[in-house]
Amino acid sequence: MRILLDKFTKKFGNLTVIDEMDLEIHDGEMIALLGGSGCGKSTTLFAICGIHKVNGGRILFGDKDVTNVTSQERNVGVVFQSFALYPHMSVEQNIGFPLKLRKESQSEIKRKVDEIAEMVHIENLLQRRPGELSGGQQQRVALARALIRRPDVLLLDEPLANLDATLRLEMRSEIRRIQRETGITAVLVTHDQTEAMSMCDRIAIMDAGKIVQITEPKDMYDNPVSDFVAGFLGSPPIAFLSGQIKDGNFIEPSTKTKIPLSGNITKNHNGRNVRIGVRPEFFQPGSGITIGGKVTFIESQGRETLFNVTLSNGTILRSIQGKRSESKIGDQVEWGIDAQKILVFDEDGARL
Amino acid sequence: MGNSKHLGLFLLAPAGIFVILFFLAPVVLTGVFGFTNMSTATGITGGSYMVSESAMRPLRSRFGEDALADQLSKRIYTIDEEGLQAAAEAGGDAAALTELRSNFFNESFGNRREVETAIKSLNARPSTTRGIKIISAQFVKSVINVRFDTFEELLTSIADFGIELSDDQIEALADVTYTGWTFTLQNFKTMVELPDTRKTLINTLFYVFTTLILFNTGFALVLSISTHYMPTGPAGFFRSIWLLPRVTPPVLYVLMWKWLAWDTGFLSVILEPMGFAPRNWMLDSPTNAWVFIILINGIVGASMGMLIFSSAIKAIPASLFHASEVDGATRRQQIWHIILPQLRWPILFITIYQTLSLLTSFEYILLATDGGPGGATEVWALSTYLKALQNYGGALQYGYGAALSLVLVVIGISVSLIYLKLFDFKNLTAPPKIE
Ligand SMILES: Nc1ncnc2c1ncn2[C@@H]1O[C@H](COP(=O)(O)OP(=O)(O)OP(=O)(O)O)[C@@H](O)[C@H]1O
Ligand SMILES: [Mg+2]
Repeated sequence: MRILLDKFTKKFGNLTVIDEMDLEIHDGEMIALLGGSGCGKSTTLFAICGIHKVNGGRILFGDKDVTNVTSQERNVGVVFQSFALYPHMSVEQNIGFPLKLRKESQSEIKRKVDEIAEMVHIENLLQRRPGELSGGQQQRVALARALIRRPDVLLLDEPLANLDATLRLEMRSEIRRIQRETGITAVLVTHDQTEAMSMCDRIAIMDAGKIVQITEPKDMYDNPVSDFVAGFLGSPPIAFLSGQIKDGNFIEPSTKTKIPLSGNITKNHNGRNVRIGVRPEFFQPGSGITIGGKVTFIESQGRETLFNVTLSNGTILRSIQGKRSESKIGDQVEWGIDAQKILVFDEDGARL
Repeated sequence: MGNSKHLGLFLLAPAGIFVILFFLAPVVLTGVFGFTNMSTATGITGGSYMVSESAMRPLRSRFGEDALADQLSKRIYTIDEEGLQAAAEAGGDAAALTELRSNFFNESFGNRREVETAIKSLNARPSTTRGIKIISAQFVKSVINVRFDTFEELLTSIADFGIELSDDQIEALADVTYTGWTFTLQNFKTMVELPDTRKTLINTLFYVFTTLILFNTGFALVLSISTHYMPTGPAGFFRSIWLLPRVTPPVLYVLMWKWLAWDTGFLSVILEPMGFAPRNWMLDSPTNAWVFIILINGIVGASMGMLIFSSAIKAIPASLFHASEVDGATRRQQIWHIILPQLRWPILFITIYQTLSLLTSFEYILLATDGGPGGATEVWALSTYLKALQNYGGALQYGYGAALSLVLVVIGISVSLIYLKLFDFKNLTAPPKIE
């Protein structure tokens, strides 16, 4: 089912948390709402499922305006960040609860619970209480409860935040598999970019209650619309250099490094102060436009090693290198920036 | 450091003494007193031995010793040395006494008139009736209404009196003449036999469970759940209103109810134009009295449950409410499936606590109806108080009162145990298998 937020506005008292947000989620798509803490992700999610009343705009499911429909009648499945399992009910009762509320027959409920329990691999836990489950198991129960009445929409609020690294990896593909299998429209709220990039068809990046950019993960990584988006995606994060555009080149003032820029950028912006973004994989020894600095930090990430290179004016460039490198902290190095891959932003952070 | 484990005990000692003195001792004493016939008549210290009218009654009825009772109840007059001396000291005529000794020494008379006839027959008889009476009074011999500190003294006195006692009779006398308290099961027998007891018991159960179900838990639940769904401001205001009776002094609070119900009070005044004769609405009929009693207690009692339940509802994570709404629960279903199960423990707590406090507290009833009209609202605790500590048709029956309290304690404990069973207490407190 398609979801459309049309100039959706949400206020808490005088505080406007979301201001006229437009967002369209296609039928069967899984979209990520990605953003820092407090940017309004949960608020958006709660508005979609009807827990929060909106202060302006419309919410459409398909072609139906559900703005004033209660959450009971929206047929939305939600996995809450804290899972919100009912502590006094067994796993079986938890999962069957939405059906019980609809007064479906015992045998029908049993059949459906068994079916969905099998899908999320918790068949053997049905008689336990939530208090007797591990975090990952609780997460599956919450997912099963959200899915059991075949909702039109599945909303997931940071469902993996409480899990350990391995489990998180496992559940990522698990959720994606189930979402694909059921063909359900899903919204994943997260502040973990890897999660968003690996699980979703599209990502909507939010900042202070606004959607800054919405596109496919790969495209967003390659073509961020602003320095905020560029900084948000990628780990280790992108590094920025300040400088000026002069005669088709970017000039870094402290090192006097010249980086040639593509023609359509330089045409209208000669003399302008800008910032360029350099991702760690495009700052490597032995190729590109070299720039000198001192190695100030080395972090081994197992297969790869991260280096921080500090320029004479204090700016830090990051480099991630696969093969063993001899460089040590304190070494003076001259590594190259891949001029093709740099991203140029104006003073306000907008991409040029 | 070696004595650190004794330090704890040492520090706790004052508390321990207080606990023993003010909590344990009264309970134990009540238990002991319940098995005695203590009353104002027996006193609470030891007693003495006395042949009294009231002692002769059981001697006849329980032991069938009518003849002995008759004998003991008699007064006889014997002219003996002791009497003669006493008469001399009382100012009896010396010549008359000398003649009395020589004529009638060691003779006995069945009553005072016969002694006086004998005195009048003397040559040196006193000239005035008063003179005769002074002398005759000194020879009376009786064991009736004389206190003896020990039973032996009583027996000696009876022997002096000229009555021979069999062993059975001695045993019977020891029983009936003791004026102090004794251990007995009589209190419990009386309790079972008296029809009042049944009535009081039924009153008590009716009072406790009606108030409890309608108000102390029922209405408290209604209040806390309905305020949960209200905006915070009005909810707080609403809750404070229900706290007011709790912070009003009981005497004032009941006085306001009385004023409401008096024959010149609020109810009478507003009902009179509608054709209802002014009357004391509270004491008008047993039904009315009960309605008032339950309202008076319930409105005070609901506030505590309301506070406990409200805070318990607040402690339920908001996400559970959100989840249940999304799952499709209506408000009714939310109350039934989310709130009430989460309140199981507070409800158990309030139910037990309020049952016990309703069972034992009677101050509002005492102030409002004093058990009236005609004992219709007399509950167990009130009856205990009236029997043991209020002059109620005569003597204070400490023993009987204590026995009544003892029964109340037993009822309280049994009811609590039943609740624990009903609420499946073991499951409520079972340690979680995974933290
Ligand atoms: N009930 C509320 N009353 C007042 N302000 C609220 C309320 N709920 C959220 N806010 C505010 O709205 C803003 C957005 O909150 P929201 O919960 O949507 O953030 P979020 O993006 O989900 O953050 P996080 O990643 O930390 O969960 C925050 O500034 C928060 O303080
Ligand atoms: Mg959130």
